[in-house]
Amino acid sequence: MKHITTIVLATITLITLAFTQHNGGVYKTNTGNISFFSRTPIEDIAAENHKVKTAFSSVNGKLQFSVLIKDFEFEKALMQEHFNENYMESTKYPKATFNGIIEDINIVEVSKNGTYTSKVSGKLTIKNVTKEVSATATFSVKGDIVNAKAVFNVNPSDYNVKIPRAVINKISDNIKISIDADYTHQH
Amino acid sequence: MKRPLILALSLLILGALFFTYAAFNKKHTDVATANSQQEMSSYELFAEFDASETEATQKYAEQVITVSGLLLQRDLSNFQEPQIILEGNGDNGFIRCGFKEYSLQNAMDLTDGEHVKVKGLCKGFNDGGELDLLADRDVVLSNCILITLD
Repeated sequence: MKHITTIVLATITLITLAFTQHNGGVYKTNTGNISFFSRTPIEDIAAENHKVKTAFSSVNGKLQFSVLIKDFEFEKALMQEHFNENYMESTKYPKATFNGIIEDINIVEVSKNGTYTSKVSGKLTIKNVTKEVSATATFSVKGDIVNAKAVFNVNPSDYNVKIPRAVINKISDNIKISIDADYTHQH
Repeated sequence: MKRPLILALSLLILGALFFTYAAFNKKHTDVATANSQQEMSSYELFAEFDASETEATQKYAEQVITVSGLLLQRDLSNFQEPQIILEGNGDNGFIRCGFKEYSLQNAMDLTDGEHVKVKGLCKGFNDGGELDLLADRDVVLSNCILITLD
C-alpha cells in the first residue's frame, strides 16, 4: 500500500513539474518595439514597429523575434513605399525573424528586481538570407515586467537588399537597429 | 517660334517639379476617410490567412478593410500603439489591431468580451513561423479606428 501511495505521489509531482516547466520560463510580448535608423550626410531615415512578437525562455535562454516588414512606419509615405516595394520586397518576404540565445541567462534573475547584462547571439533572417548576429542586451526586471534593450547594426547588402545607384548615397551601409520590449510571464 | 517652345518647356519643368513635390510629400493612407475595400468577420479574415498566407497577403496587404469580431482582450502594454485582440479561430489565431496613440481612450473605453467593428490597414500575418516560442498567430491591422455598431 505504501508503495502505491509513493508511486501516485511521485506521478502527481512529475505531472505538476511538467506543467510548470511547460510555460514556466516563457516570457513574451506581442507589442515590442523595433526601430531602425540610417544616417548619411544627405538624409536621415528612421522607421518604427510597435507590434513585434518576441519571447524568451528564462530556463534555457532561447530568444526569438518575428516582425512584419510592412508594419514599419516611416514619417514619409513615399519612403515607406520604396522601402517595402523596392528594397525589402515585403509582399514576397513579409517577415524578419531572429532565433537565438541569451548567453548568460543564468545571471538574469527574472524574479528579482535589477538590471542584468548579457550577450545575445543568433540567426537573423531578412529576405530569406540568414546571418549570425550578436549584441549586448540589457534586461531590467521590475515587478512582473522584464524589459530588454539591445542595439546592433546591419549592412543592407548582407541581406540582399539592393539599393539603386541613384539613392546609394542616401542610405547608410551601417543601419542601427534598436530593440525595446517589455516581456511578461506566460501562465 | 522660339517663344512657344520656351513656354512649353517651362510648363513641362513646372509640371515635373510639381509631380516630384507631390510624390515626395504624399500622405499616409487616412483610414478614417478611405473607403473600405472589404468587410468581413474576424473569423473569415483569419481563415483566409490560415489557408494561404501568400494569397491573403497579396489580396489584403496595405488595403483598408473593416473587420468585426469578438474582443478578447485590450493590450495597452505599449503606450505608443494601443492594441486590441479579436478572436480569429477560437484557438491560437487572432486579429491584432493597432491604434494610434491618440486613440488610447477609445481602446480603454472598450470592454473585453464585447462585439466590435474596426477599420484598419492590413499589414499581413505574423505567425512566428518555425519559432516554437511564438506559437500565436496574428493577422495584423494598423492605424485602426473603431466603427460604431448599428
